[in-house]
Amino acid sequence: MKTREYQICNRCIMDTTDSKIIFDENGVCDHCRTFEEKIKPNWDVGDKGLSQITKIASQIKKEGTGKDFDCIIGMSGGIDSSYLVYLAKEKLGLRPLVFHVDAGWNSDQAVSNIEQIVDRLGLDLYTEVIDWEEMKDLQLSFFKAGVSHTDTPQDHAFFATMYKFANKHNIKHILTGGNYSTECIRNPLEWMYFQSDDRQIRDIQKTFGSMKLSKFPLTNVLWHKVYLPYIKGIKVYRPLDFMPYHKEQATQFLVDNFAYQRYSQKHFESRFTKFYESYWLPQKFGFDTRKVQFSSLILTGQMSRSEALQKLKIPAHDANTIEDDFQYIANKLNISVAELQGFFDAPNKTFSDYKNQQSIYKMGAKLLRLLGIEKGGKR
Amino acid sequence: MLRSRVIPCLLVQNKGLVKTVKFKSAKYLGDPINAVKIFNEKQVDELMIFDIDASVSGVAPNYQMISHWANESRMPLCYGGGVKSAEQALKIIKLGVEKVALSSEVINDPNILVDIGAAVGKQSIVVVLDVKKSMFGRYELYTLNGKKKSNKKIVQLISEIEKIGVGEIVINCIDNDGTMKGYDLNLVRLVRDCSNVPLTVLGGAGSHDDLLQLIAEFKIIGAAAGSLFVFKGVYKAVLISYIPQAVRALIQTISKL
Amino acid sequence: MIAIIDYGSGNINAIKNIYRKNNIACKFATKAQDLVGATKIILPGVGAFDSAMSNLNRSGMREALDSAVLEDKLPVLGVCVGMHIMTLNSEEGELAGLGWINAEVKLLDVERIAQKPKIPHMGWNSIETPTEHPLFNGIDKELGFYFLHSYYVHCQRQHDIMATAQYGKQFHCAFNRENIFGVQFHPEKSHSNGIDLFNNFSEL
Repeated sequence: MKTREYQICNRCIMDTTDSKIIFDENGVCDHCRTFEEKIKPNWDVGDKGLSQITKIASQIKKEGTGKDFDCIIGMSGGIDSSYLVYLAKEKLGLRPLVFHVDAGWNSDQAVSNIEQIVDRLGLDLYTEVIDWEEMKDLQLSFFKAGVSHTDTPQDHAFFATMYKFANKHNIKHILTGGNYSTECIRNPLEWMYFQSDDRQIRDIQKTFGSMKLSKFPLTNVLWHKVYLPYIKGIKVYRPLDFMPYHKEQATQFLVDNFAYQRYSQKHFESRFTKFYESYWLPQKFGFDTRKVQFSSLILTGQMSRSEALQKLKIPAHDANTIEDDFQYIANKLNISVAELQGFFDAPNKTFSDYKNQQSIYKMGAKLLRLLGIEKGGKR
Repeated sequence: MLRSRVIPCLLVQNKGLVKTVKFKSAKYLGDPINAVKIFNEKQVDELMIFDIDASVSGVAPNYQMISHWANESRMPLCYGGGVKSAEQALKIIKLGVEKVALSSEVINDPNILVDIGAAVGKQSIVVVLDVKKSMFGRYELYTLNGKKKSNKKIVQLISEIEKIGVGEIVINCIDNDGTMKGYDLNLVRLVRDCSNVPLTVLGGAGSHDDLLQLIAEFKIIGAAAGSLFVFKGVYKAVLISYIPQAVRALIQTISKL
Repeated sequence: MIAIIDYGSGNINAIKNIYRKNNIACKFATKAQDLVGATKIILPGVGAFDSAMSNLNRSGMREALDSAVLEDKLPVLGVCVGMHIMTLNSEEGELAGLGWINAEVKLLDVERIAQKPKIPHMGWNSIETPTEHPLFNGIDKELGFYFLHSYYVHCQRQHDIMATAQYGKQFHCAFNRENIFGVQFHPEKSHSNGIDLFNNFSEL
């Protein structure tokens, strides 16, 4: 099969390591076009956006009268969710319960950031701890499966736990730190398949796992995208999309006022995600998530293309600590370094090698786009 | 001058971290190794990890887990749970653990300290005394993770073990365990009076003030805590923490008084 | 190549871990041959003086160590009891020390300590240095190091004293004579200060 000639977008820095990328006659990629045509026209962070979120906030406050809290905010300790907690309380006047899912990989900075923000804002914290034995087994299954979305167990656990909690306690309003400002370009499916596809998770666990998942929280895309919002009335909001959100300014603000500790890259609040995105994914599969992240920042005017290209020149992982990190991952998963290396050297597989519900996602995405509910989803 | 030590204490059951209340109702906290790593990054003074299953079930210590913890610790580590022999104690020390803790075995027969002391050095041995108040308000010793009452008297036992040789005594108050209502200072006074070796107190610490109060009264002591460093807030959210710089500075100041 | 003497005493794994994480070459030495090619030596130690001394004598490395340290002048760092055995003798035991430095091991004088426990000296304590030495570069002396001992080294020569600590009285907690270094505290258990000290030693 003919390998595609290397090409990089003239506007952002997405390139042919995203094998489905399409360039127009100006050498601009389809990610950029989706942003320009589908996202940008409907994205307002001026008066209109503010008015919209203020209205939503009023509704949340009204429905929350007399209750201990009026909404829950999923907080990982990363910049998006941390800044959101601050905004929700101080700017929108909400009374959130801060919700954290502990999948066993918290970095010290994450834990410290959560503590500082929760304390200084005088908020309540709730954490759900994922059963480590099952989490470990599932993560090992994903390694054995050879797929590129190795971080699915963590991602899935975060959302599933939060939805289940909201459902159980009849909490109608969930706020998340998802935002266009830093995420208008999404990781291609080829790099990171839908983390919410439970069919994929079950099949991989059935094929490679050594135990049945009984405590691990599993959700289903139909359940949380259809049932929860439309039948149970549990809504998920992304407030950062309604107000100006500048990543560096937000980070500096938290550093100055909340003793916030920076991470070296997005998502590095989890030790596993740091290892996965900085080393495993680029080195084993050739997928560098920085391209996605920096491209988003380029499109939203927070980084120049030349700066992004410059940063990409050095590897994402720290050569001085990688051996140690590798050892830690192996120790924690209770396997040898040789075994982990074995997973690294094994052939690369894709999500389509295992059972999946991609057809449902395709259908659903089409429908949501037709209804104008979602702009520019994952592809 | 020497400062008092503030020591997080972790309990392990079935390979997972748990927290008890009065030695019961173990709540699952997650994976031990990441907790150890975080405490190490927070540069805690020392760390204690007790396997609460091991003594009761008679299972040997999990050397592989202990080795992983030792790998992550750039501070002194104390391990307890299922240690019965000099051979086991030595094996644990060689994994990179500074102190080995014993409880039930020593209460039942203090003489086991002779061999173990000879193997690892007396300074490396910690004896943990689990204590509960009787109906009449008397302090009584318990073994097997709080399940079996011992007839030995605290004062007498301490005298015996100090005579044979021990590095440190940890006094663990079952009644206050997990309650976060404060240390039982009367118990501490009783034990401090009759012992001469380093002492560490565990059970009941609910706030940084509790730690400071203990340290202010006893000047040189180990202030250990479980719940305080693993829970946060009214919902007892699992979140690892340690004393902030301000509290460290206070402890430094107290040490100079 | 830093050789960490493995003679059955001391937390050798912790020391190796620190060097490994900083990509500094080191290995365990269990016999004389292992010292070949070593550029620096670390002599750890816990427990009793006599026990450590007889272990070392039995290890078969005694001669090679004497030669490496006294003749080849390899930098050597003794930690805790490892520091003790470098001296002439100890109040704690009967055996003679290595005699690499004019110093003796004595029991801590804790008369001035009002409260209990008097000994051992256990916990984190600050240190003071009469002069600046690269071994203590970047170290927060107020934060100090972790100590656990009942005996300490008393240097005969003022010039050899590298650091002191206060416990009842001021006592010598680190010495240095030419290529010979000794620290009473446990840098392998003293977080960033300890890591810095080991790194500094590797750069001497």
